[in-house]
Amino acid sequence: MEEKALIQKAQSGDKQALAELVKKYEQTIYNFAFKICRDKNYAEHIMQETFYSMVKSLHQFDHNSKLSTWLYRIVANHCLMMARKAKSRSFVSFDDDDENLFEEKYAADWNSIPYKDTENKELKRILDMAIQNLSPDYRMVFLLRDVEGLSTEETAQVTELSIPAVKSRLHRARAFLRKEINEAFSR
Amino acid sequence: MSKEKITCKEVMKHVCESLGENLNDEKCQEVRNHLDSCPHCKEYFKSVEITIECYRKYNVEVPEEAHGRLMKLLGLEE
Repeated sequence: MEEKALIQKAQSGDKQALAELVKKYEQTIYNFAFKICRDKNYAEHIMQETFYSMVKSLHQFDHNSKLSTWLYRIVANHCLMMARKAKSRSFVSFDDDDENLFEEKYAADWNSIPYKDTENKELKRILDMAIQNLSPDYRMVFLLRDVEGLSTEETAQVTELSIPAVKSRLHRARAFLRKEINEAFSR
Repeated sequence: MSKEKITCKEVMKHVCESLGENLNDEKCQEVRNHLDSCPHCKEYFKSVEITIECYRKYNVEVPEEAHGRLMKLLGLEE
């Protein structure tokens, strides 16, 4: 069934249609939540909160955006709320001068990085560590735009940022993550 | 008047700003010309692409039990 018809059925109270929508998006939402918080328990919690919010407010969905964009926004809000509650964590901060992002103290051999081995534990550890040093709002922009493949406009819509702000966060996040991986593999 | 040549740092910034976008604008053309002749910047470009690829490939699957708990919470068990 076409998604629009499925949503309309779910909006009119059809539980089977609602279950189909949940199944269609649960993998995407769980995976995305994990990529933001890098913790499977938190990811499950965020997935539950997201679909609970979806069920409660699906009647307000007006088909002006994609359902996936609408869900990403709910996930983003829950993640940012959780991050605000756990204030103790400190993140790298970027000032207007981001020159140090492009300073190279180390030179890793990128050909030796096992990036094709998706199960490499050391690589996963480094990727988790690097992204957790980014504040959640930078993390969100990088993940939505580069990893989930949303357009710049969709990313701006989900994060409620302007397009120039999305671009600025994206370029800093890319440079920062690349620098962290470079340093980790130079040690 | 001669135009100053683009520097490696400017190229690196541009790579991070508009990776794979606006390939036809004037600045991008300049960046591409630089990349063709600078192995260091070419390596930098590749490393940014690898960084993104690493995060794209690192995925997790919803555990069966988590799926069950979700459907139960929503009152949608089969």
